[in-house]
Amino acid sequence: MPTPDPVDPDAEPVPLGQRLFDNVFLLLALGMGVMLVVFTGWGLWEILTLPQGTLP
Amino acid sequence: MSAVATSPVRICDVTGRRIHRSAEQLVKANAVVAVVALLVGIIAALLLVLTRWQAVHLLPPTWYYRLLGVHGMNMLIFFIIFFEMAVLWFAATVLLNARPAAPRLGWVNFGVMLLGSLMVEWAQWSGRADVLYTSYPPLKAHPVFYLGVILFAVGALLVTCQFFATLVIARRERTYEGSLPLVVYGAMTAAIIAVITLVHGAMTYIPTFLWSIGLIAMPDPQVYRMLWWALGHSAQQINVAAMVAIWYMLGALTVGAVVLNEKVSRSAFVLYILFISMASAHHLLVDPGFGPAWKIVNTSYFMYMAVLASMVHGFTVPAGMELGMRLRGYTDGLFGWLRRAPWGDPGFSSLVLSVVVFGFVGGITGVTLGTEQINIIAHNTMRIPGHFHSTVVSGTALAFMGATYYLLPLVFRRRVAFWKLARIQPYLFSGGMLLLVLGMTFAGSFGVPRRHWDISFSQAPFDVPFNPAVDIFLAVMGIGGIIAFLGGLSFILIAVKSVFFGEPLPEITRGVEMHGVPRGLTHPPVHAPDADERNAALHDPARGIAGATPGTLVLVAVFLLAFVVYYFANWKLLSFLWKIG
Ligand code: HEM
Ligand SMILES: [Cu+2]
Repeated sequence: MPTPDPVDPDAEPVPLGQRLFDNVFLLLALGMGVMLVVFTGWGLWEILTLPQGTLP
Repeated sequence: MSAVATSPVRICDVTGRRIHRSAEQLVKANAVVAVVALLVGIIAALLLVLTRWQAVHLLPPTWYYRLLGVHGMNMLIFFIIFFEMAVLWFAATVLLNARPAAPRLGWVNFGVMLLGSLMVEWAQWSGRADVLYTSYPPLKAHPVFYLGVILFAVGALLVTCQFFATLVIARRERTYEGSLPLVVYGAMTAAIIAVITLVHGAMTYIPTFLWSIGLIAMPDPQVYRMLWWALGHSAQQINVAAMVAIWYMLGALTVGAVVLNEKVSRSAFVLYILFISMASAHHLLVDPGFGPAWKIVNTSYFMYMAVLASMVHGFTVPAGMELGMRLRGYTDGLFGWLRRAPWGDPGFSSLVLSVVVFGFVGGITGVTLGTEQINIIAHNTMRIPGHFHSTVVSGTALAFMGATYYLLPLVFRRRVAFWKLARIQPYLFSGGMLLLVLGMTFAGSFGVPRRHWDISFSQAPFDVPFNPAVDIFLAVMGIGGIIAFLGGLSFILIAVKSVFFGEPLPEITRGVEMHGVPRGLTHPPVHAPDADERNAALHDPARGIAGATPGTLVLVAVFLLAFVVYYFANWKLLSFLWKIG
């Protein structure tokens, strides 16, 4: 659990968007996830489901 | 604990920052190796350009292809990535005032990367890896080549992990307040893309290595191409993110640029993280293994989010400079801020040339070439090297050079040697590059292929005629290449002389020009005393659509116009080839 900031009790709470943007590891996971699904995964599936060519 | 002779921390007398010596040494070592790789790459570049200039046609075929591989690896991989390792160490420690995570491990990783690059050099120079830097199977290199690449990549991945660990330390030890500073945020973006890149690198090179030692069958060429480009393209996006971070840094250092809107700039970096890597598909637009849906989703719909991000940075960086200059009192007219800017500061000129050439030439050609339909008339022509020499060379490499002019005094604590040469070096390099890029692009538009030793096809049984204009474009490319070579060599001379034989940096007196010290350090850009009132006045809604940065807005309009014209012209060209109706 994150400990509340002891320094300044009446500091404004950090907005949700900023907390998301500050979360380095979340961004890493999202970036990796999008790439692995949209490019790599889908791309592999395209290649592997390619019908076998027949010689003329 | 016993007292040590020198404290692990020194206080920078220019910026007042706490600098950890162990991190500083890592920055230095990585930067020095980067410059050595640049030297090797640039010698190869000269020989290549003198071969592709058909009237000169210098090298025999074997050496053309061998040096093409050497050039690709030394420039794109070793020069750029060693420099990025320096950027990561610099951003995580100096900019965050933090101590580096496990600096000893940093040296091990540096050693592993160095060993890997030496293995690759050996394999390439000895003719055991004439496979170009893409090493597509069925081309097969000596196992030492693949192992070298793997070692290099593992070292780089571990440094990236150390970067993240240093961020965690800095946060825990509260060396900064609030969110990461924007420049570090950009470096963090680069580091995330680096992880994506290196994961795909492992998927590419481990099977290929096993194949080269005979353990497994040849990897499927289509799968290889897909995985390789997830590495090859994403690696360029590490460069883009690092370059943009340096743009923000140089803007602040040289002209007191402000960040217009943190939220907007950060969103643009997040868009890079999410959407830029998949644009790898634009390298596969003529590959038969993928359907149009995969191609178009990856290179258009989603990828345009990353193009949007680049356009955001392309606006906020110059607009931040304009606003910074206006707040310092340079308010006359639309472009007074540009006229009065420190054009003799090589950090500043590098920044501007990098932004302009990257955006106007690299960005516009890139989006055009990455369009599926247009790609068919450009694929594997000289238009492609024309495009990426305007992005990774005129953009990234030049930004790195500009940053070096500040790293020399700030980190190496040396005067910049050959100062007069340094002041013109960015113009020399960028001007030569621009000629090279234009020559390549137009030659490519007339069908000249890339990676081709002899376009006269002298021993071929059939005749392949090119438009005679091609000879002129290739000559422009050749002359531009020679000028860019001289510009690059000047940079290397300046850097080597400053680092190894340079004068130590004397005490800086504010407001006095000093030989060998960039103006941003002798005359730190400070805002006018009434900056707040100026800011309020500039943001007065009565100023209408022109807003606070009218000059940049005009530049943006010119950019968009150029974009539309170039894009349209390419569809028009395509319609000549594919007659409809
Ligand atoms: C003086 C500077 C430079 C000159 C004159 C130059 C010139 C050239 C030439 C003539 C080619 C061969 C094109 C072909 O025949 O297909 C080439 C390829 C290439 N250059 Fe450069 N270049 C320079 C700097 C750089 C830098 C700094 C980088 C990267 C940071 C770079 C990256 C590349 C890459 C990746 C290739 C493609 C290699 C391949 O097709 O396998 N160049 N360059
Ligand atoms: Cu690409």
